[in-house]
Amino acid sequence: MSDTNTKIEELVKSSDVVLFMKGTKSMPQCGFSSRVAGVLNFMGLEYTDVNVLADEDIRQGIKDFSDWPTIPQLYVKGEFVGGCDIITEMTLSGELDSMLEENGVTFNKEAADKIREANA
Amino acid sequence: MTKADKIEAALRAAFTPQVLDVVNESHMHAGHAGDDGTGETHYAVRIQSAAFDGMSRIARHRAVHAAIGKDLMVQIHALSLDISA
Repeated sequence: MSDTNTKIEELVKSSDVVLFMKGTKSMPQCGFSSRVAGVLNFMGLEYTDVNVLADEDIRQGIKDFSDWPTIPQLYVKGEFVGGCDIITEMTLSGELDSMLEENGVTFNKEAADKIREANA
Repeated sequence: MTKADKIEAALRAAFTPQVLDVVNESHMHAGHAGDDGTGETHYAVRIQSAAFDGMSRIARHRAVHAAIGKDLMVQIHALSLDISA
């Protein structure tokens, strides 16, 4: 258990943006993971994808680590941001942009605007 | 009592919401990951309650998860939440 926690802690800090998801960013295996990965991909973000389906310890462990019962889970600079609903809401409201900017994470602002235009 | 009824009862008791819709969307995910054939796996909840006033997004979601309870949470595959104060 503590080994898993250590492993998760290392993963969370392994890059500025880390997405725990089912499947990979190029081949998501769940609609909710797919939606978040799709947004990050479209916004041209560089991020680490962790496929929880490939490691049962991490699949359970990340839920305890974050005190969050579902996958996907997004971390920015080691901080838990939220799951699919929260990322969707923050993308549409522009909060995700501000949060990324505050953390010095580069992304394509035009692409983010396009997502908002398409969902206005 | 269906799982949707249980979710609704738990949320009504915890937050006395002004708006509460619990929709079973399991049929939309039939045959997909997480569908166990029971037709009770995927839910969408819209809830509005003054109880969420001043809470962050994460705190609101955690409060809803806690109200539904771990026993029921582990029995459902997906829970989409639209929470407002």
